[in-house]
Amino acid sequence: MRRVLKEEYDVLVVGAGPGGSMASYYASKGGAKTLLVEKSQEIGEPVRCAEAVPRLEEFNIYPSEEFVRSYIKGGYLIAPNGKRIEVKGGKTEGYVVERKIFDKYLAIRSAKVGTRIAVKSRVVDLYPCEDGFKVKVLHLGEEYTVKTKIVIAADGVESSVAEMAGLRCKKNPMEVCSCAEYEMTGVKLLDNHMMEFYFGDLSPKGYAWIFPKGDAANVGLGVIDKKKKAIEYLNEFLEHPILEGRLKDATPVEFKCGGVPVGGPIERTVGDNIMVVGDAAGQVSPLTGGGIYLAMSCGSIAGEVAAKAVKKGDYSMETLLEYERRWKERFYNTLMTELKYKNILQRLGERELNIIAEVMDERLEEIDVKKIIFKVVKKAPSLLKYFGELIA
Amino acid sequence: MRVNYERCGYCGACVGVCKSMALELIENRIVIYQERCKGCKACMIVCPLKALEE
Repeated sequence: MRRVLKEEYDVLVVGAGPGGSMASYYASKGGAKTLLVEKSQEIGEPVRCAEAVPRLEEFNIYPSEEFVRSYIKGGYLIAPNGKRIEVKGGKTEGYVVERKIFDKYLAIRSAKVGTRIAVKSRVVDLYPCEDGFKVKVLHLGEEYTVKTKIVIAADGVESSVAEMAGLRCKKNPMEVCSCAEYEMTGVKLLDNHMMEFYFGDLSPKGYAWIFPKGDAANVGLGVIDKKKKAIEYLNEFLEHPILEGRLKDATPVEFKCGGVPVGGPIERTVGDNIMVVGDAAGQVSPLTGGGIYLAMSCGSIAGEVAAKAVKKGDYSMETLLEYERRWKERFYNTLMTELKYKNILQRLGERELNIIAEVMDERLEEIDVKKIIFKVVKKAPSLLKYFGELIA
Repeated sequence: MRVNYERCGYCGACVGVCKSMALELIENRIVIYQERCKGCKACMIVCPLKALEE
């Protein structure tokens, strides 16, 4: 470990979550000498996530019994009045994983192609030097200065590393969803392969969820609210009449909490010798709060671009901008559209949510927002005011 | 600002909104650098567990 921190690198990735592990995987695969630095003593800990991931075949990662706990066919969207809408197939398919094991699996996968890893190693500062950064890393009370040509900041919602390098990535508190979750056993699920999403006053400006997870289920919620805390909403949710006593015999085996940046991507994800990936970059679906798929995709791109830059011997912002261009090409429009939908959803009260659920078909393959809005406005023209900017 | 460690779930949500870099998550402990804190209370708003107190 100490030896690893005494060498020089082409690429130094901060944070061994899915984004950082994919970035380091592609950097190493592309021939760059790569170090992955993780501040926790165990990769994957602490978990602060509802653990649902989409299908991962496009990353050449196949569902393994090692980390998959449940196969997911889709989800139920549940309105405040209890009406259920079933959405199945396509993008809603995926898995609920054991994040602790999944994250470690991805880090090991990266190590297998040459990435060196330092755990219990915390980046405390970094400063530009000729041709790169000098990164100060604290490990077991000792400070190491690691020289690298490129830094990839994948340090999660805390996002301090890019900030140290002068990129603005701290979030506005009203754009961070505050989440609390119990992993519980003894939950009566609606279906062992379907996720459940609950909307309304039980979880203001967010939603509550029950996700099947093997013999257990993740029962949690995310809110944006100044008055009451996520944990208070969660404790009320556990006894909420909408669940019809399905958690009566449930008991927790783990408690998780976290903050999800749902305000859209940060302004700049690239600088000279640095790229920002995942939660740190705000690469999170504003609508669902899901970030694993985006972090893995954007992390892969960042790793590829880093390896290319190393081969070229040019680590300037201009060269690294290929990363920003590529990830924006794939995801920017979707993220901005979702941001619009989220802002509208957050303004809707229970009455409006019930009207929307009422006009929706009970079984859907995908959600066609325009079609739904058309039906909603036809049924309740007074709701038009909420959707103005979408129709225009 | 201070952290009530009995309540804290060390998720780091507070660190993500602290623009003055006064908070850090080290393993399972939130550390406050009081001299940097500007008292904006952003951390109190996002904390899921009411672990930050004035």
